[in-house]
Amino acid sequence: MTSTLEPAAEQQGRPETQGRREFLATRRRTVVVELTMTVLTVAVAVLIAFLVVLATGKDAGGALDALLTGPLERTPRIGRWLADATTLSLLGLSVAIPFRARQISLGAEGQVYAGALASALVAINLHLPPVAAVLVPLGAAALAGGALGAVPGVMKARLGANEIVATLMLNAVVVRVFDYLLTDHLKAPGSSAVQSAPVRPDSALPLLSDFFQVPLDQANIGLFGMLAVAAAVWFLLARTPLGYRIRITGSNPDFARYGGLDVPRTIEWSFVIGGALAGLAGAHLALGIYGGLQPDMAGGLAFEGIVVALLGRNNPVGVVAAALLYSYLRVGGDVMEQQTDVGSDAVTIIQAVIVLLVTARALPELVKRYLARREAR
Amino acid sequence: MEPTEETGEPVATDTAPPALEAVGLGKTYPNGTRAVSDVDLSVPRGEIRAIVGQNGAGKSTLMKLLYGLEQPSAGQLSVHGRRVRFSGPQDAIALGVGMVHQNLMLVPSFTVAENAVLGVEPGRAGRVDRAAAAERTAALAEQSGLAVDPTARVDTVSVGMRQRAEILKALHRGARILILDEPTAVLTPQETTDLFTAVRRLRDSGMTVLFISHKLKEVREISDRVTVMRAGSVIGTVRTEESTPAQLASMMVGREMSLDVAKPPARPGARVLRVRGLSGPAVHGVSLDIAAGEIVGLAGVEGNGQTELVELLAGLRRPTAGSVTVDDTDVTHLDAAGHRRAGIAHVPEDRLSNGAALDRSIADNLIVDRHDRPPVARRGILRTRRIRELAEDLISRYAIRAPHPDAAAGALSGGNLQKVVVARELSAKPRLLLAAQLTRGVDIGAMHFMYERLLEARDAGAAVLLVSADLGELLALSDRLLVIKDGRLVARFDDPAGLTEEATGLYMLGVERHPDERITAGVR
Repeated sequence: MTSTLEPAAEQQGRPETQGRREFLATRRRTVVVELTMTVLTVAVAVLIAFLVVLATGKDAGGALDALLTGPLERTPRIGRWLADATTLSLLGLSVAIPFRARQISLGAEGQVYAGALASALVAINLHLPPVAAVLVPLGAAALAGGALGAVPGVMKARLGANEIVATLMLNAVVVRVFDYLLTDHLKAPGSSAVQSAPVRPDSALPLLSDFFQVPLDQANIGLFGMLAVAAAVWFLLARTPLGYRIRITGSNPDFARYGGLDVPRTIEWSFVIGGALAGLAGAHLALGIYGGLQPDMAGGLAFEGIVVALLGRNNPVGVVAAALLYSYLRVGGDVMEQQTDVGSDAVTIIQAVIVLLVTARALPELVKRYLARREAR
Repeated sequence: MEPTEETGEPVATDTAPPALEAVGLGKTYPNGTRAVSDVDLSVPRGEIRAIVGQNGAGKSTLMKLLYGLEQPSAGQLSVHGRRVRFSGPQDAIALGVGMVHQNLMLVPSFTVAENAVLGVEPGRAGRVDRAAAAERTAALAEQSGLAVDPTARVDTVSVGMRQRAEILKALHRGARILILDEPTAVLTPQETTDLFTAVRRLRDSGMTVLFISHKLKEVREISDRVTVMRAGSVIGTVRTEESTPAQLASMMVGREMSLDVAKPPARPGARVLRVRGLSGPAVHGVSLDIAAGEIVGLAGVEGNGQTELVELLAGLRRPTAGSVTVDDTDVTHLDAAGHRRAGIAHVPEDRLSNGAALDRSIADNLIVDRHDRPPVARRGILRTRRIRELAEDLISRYAIRAPHPDAAAGALSGGNLQKVVVARELSAKPRLLLAAQLTRGVDIGAMHFMYERLLEARDAGAAVLLVSADLGELLALSDRLLVIKDGRLVARFDDPAGLTEEATGLYMLGVERHPDERITAGVR
């Protein structure tokens, strides 16, 4: 940059490849920084929760210990962790896709129940050959979730409705319908609790305990299904024309329209695919975790999916990693509640702090600024 | 203003410290971009100093450092001999540094006076004394020769007056050093003249003015001395009267280059574009033909329907009447994708708003019109290697200065981003190219490059509609010239050679008009 006497050298050869090397080095460093940041974000959140617990005068050390090491102490807890991470990853991915198209879809809640309902109805009532007995209910769940995603998608893309309001309102409707159907029509006749008949054994997702010969609670092959789905989502976004359209629409819809992309259709697809994934999360709950339908079976998980998507920066790999991290804390929170006098509400604090830190992008900015300053010196 | 100050002599005296001094100033962004490095700059009090350079030469960054919008990563800054460290513009303002941005920053629903005093309102705390504000603004306007109507709402006044309001705002805050970032980009020639008069008057009252531009003609007219920047460094500072345009241009681009365009005569072929009675928002009954291998220029004062006409032809707006065909394909009712399929390419007038996705990679930006078909995609799958090859090829063919095809488009300077847009549109081998403000905000080197590519496309048989606010550019490039006013074509010159800017201006302003028969001759 300093040798301005030879302008020709700027045009060709060395400085250019040097610029390229610098770019690649910077990009590698950015990846490392981003990863560190994510871990650090969670660490800071845990620390703040720790301080809050400390301020209440309870056994903060013991609580922290239970939170951080509890999930690994017994294999069933590991199983619960993996099962929870499976649902949460699917939900995170389901939110991440519309997010990438810059659509704030909060419809996962309703889509989870729609998926659970559809898969359970098939799995309870239809007698199917072994492999189809698992795949058909899953397909039904994806279809139901996708169809439910299409509603706000079309409303947003064609009619200009606000997608946040549309998805939230639809959630309210779908959850009520689910409760009504469950209590009035699907409740198992012999049961005193409000729950459906169990799904047929052929349709239940095979448990990992049976493969590994260790008790792993409800963890099931859905874990591998989820990993396959995450890979598929990565492929969709990075390697297909539809994924390209989603990325460009999310980056600059005016540019997308100018370039001849069908922006409304792209937005619709982002909602439909997101809905289908949330539907699969519902199927995982119905066929893998509960073996049937129960009221409040999603238990707020849908919204935690948003936290996971944020934490994973809407990147499929990041979302799965974030879900694993987050589920770990959820299971740890339960252990903490059982073993100490600190409630799992502490985990809610962690969640809130994570959301604040991530949305404000406070930590990464501070650290990057520090790095840049140090480098410039 | 303190009228007792010594006036006139725009040269540094040995006794007084320079108004503004930078030593070894540098700025490296967190992403590794070194925007400015090791800049020494000394501007004496009462001088108009022009800072010129290509896009991406670091002018804007340097100004941001001087105004406290960015913090330097190296070097020292002094104002009136005092070492300073700005943590934000408020520090700069406190020390008498004012800046007028290229994109004016005023509250549209406030009056000129309210904007001028915003933040430092006269009257008691917590209350805004509107009468006092108007009085103060009028007084400042009178002193500085910046004519404004203090009581007019900003959204009702001309761009020129908005700019004057912005300068008054800086003066009201006690600016002694004024930074003007490409102030003439938005002005008409008359407004430019008025601005220069006012700036000279300010200079004569002891104000130091930094004038950022890449229009050499204006720089030579207004400045006392010129500092040339290139690739983030200061190349040199020369007295304006001792410099020549060619010398400045060569300092800017690092080689001697001619400023005019060598244009072989057009060899128009068959008709490509056929527009009949086209109407839409702000466009009324436009009929025209463009043949293969000719550049048709469209002149007009901005806001007379050029933007809308181009967007109608690009399929971004829907016509209410009329028809458009390209090579026998009726595209009248097709969407943007349909227009592209028919062979229309479009360089949009505002690349930042719809010409690029700034946070996506250069490669992503280059394939938007061909992302779903071979060679970029096959069987529903993007072929990343092909995309990479395509991007590398276009980057080298269009001399885009970018570190890597994966670098974000938003990291490029204006001229290089425009090259990305032009590379994409021209590599689609269009039948019809709609080029709107092809060289807006682009430096001389890139400008030349764009002209050459445009002529190349023409000679390869493309029909070109060129819309530009730069009349000189239109006259130099157009094989035929049309003038638009209030959404209607008002003049047509089939041989614009010898046409002057002044003569064309008469048609643009509606003083003269061609008869309809002449405008639509042969267009039936």
